[in-house]
Amino acid sequence: MGTEVMNIKDYHQKTITNRIGIWLFIISDVFVFMGLLVSRFFLLGTEIRPEVNQVVGLVVTGILLFSSFFMNRAETAIEFGDQKTFLRNTLITIILGTLFLIGVVGVEWQITPFGPGENVIWSIFYVMTGFHALHVLSGLVILVVIYLNGRKGLYTEERNYPVEAAAVYWHFVDVVWIFFYPALYLIGLPTV
Amino acid sequence: MEHIEKKKQAFRVGTTVLILLVFLTIGEFIVGSIVVGWAGVLIGIALIKAFFVIRDYMHINRLFNPTEEVQ
Repeated sequence: MGTEVMNIKDYHQKTITNRIGIWLFIISDVFVFMGLLVSRFFLLGTEIRPEVNQVVGLVVTGILLFSSFFMNRAETAIEFGDQKTFLRNTLITIILGTLFLIGVVGVEWQITPFGPGENVIWSIFYVMTGFHALHVLSGLVILVVIYLNGRKGLYTEERNYPVEAAAVYWHFVDVVWIFFYPALYLIGLPTV
Repeated sequence: MEHIEKKKQAFRVGTTVLILLVFLTIGEFIVGSIVVGWAGVLIGIALIKAFFVIRDYMHINRLFNPTEEVQ
């Protein structure tokens, strides 16, 4: 009747298989983001880019980099059985991720005088930032679940694959922005 | 003791990567602000940043060394 608790050896074996799964998912998502990146350079070349706010771009990029750092600390902490550090760093990651979303959707999108239908420059800008923001949002949902489960003590030194998977996904979102930032904010002359 | 030392070492790697990422980001911001035609350099910097995140934060090596754990 009761649920059988998987032994550690089986859990590690399952983790090995699960890792292949999360990376397959990430590779499939890479194709989508690569498509967007190629579209940006196909449509605008390297001569022009959207006239976006440089300060906002640099600040949100910094926020996302720091969020990755804290996520790494959270993951490392739980791998060594440090629940308190894990929870604290996961919470910081959630706060920074929320600030990133606010920075892009709540600030950058609001101060930009053009909408996505204005021309091809702004269409690609909104598609790229919007699609990435959706990934950040879904990452935040996962992190909140991880945080709440962590508070219940569901993750231990031995059993923490969900934290690892959430961290890998969060860092992937950061890697995408590492390429989107120069593509949208730095390469080419600002054009409206 | 060894357990604590390994934990500190793992945290140190994370901090080193952050410092590298911050310097590279500032570098690409400066390059992008003063030079227009250096798209290749900016993409190159992005590739270096992505390499460190994928290697040290995403632990891609765990895929190839499945028995390797942090402890």
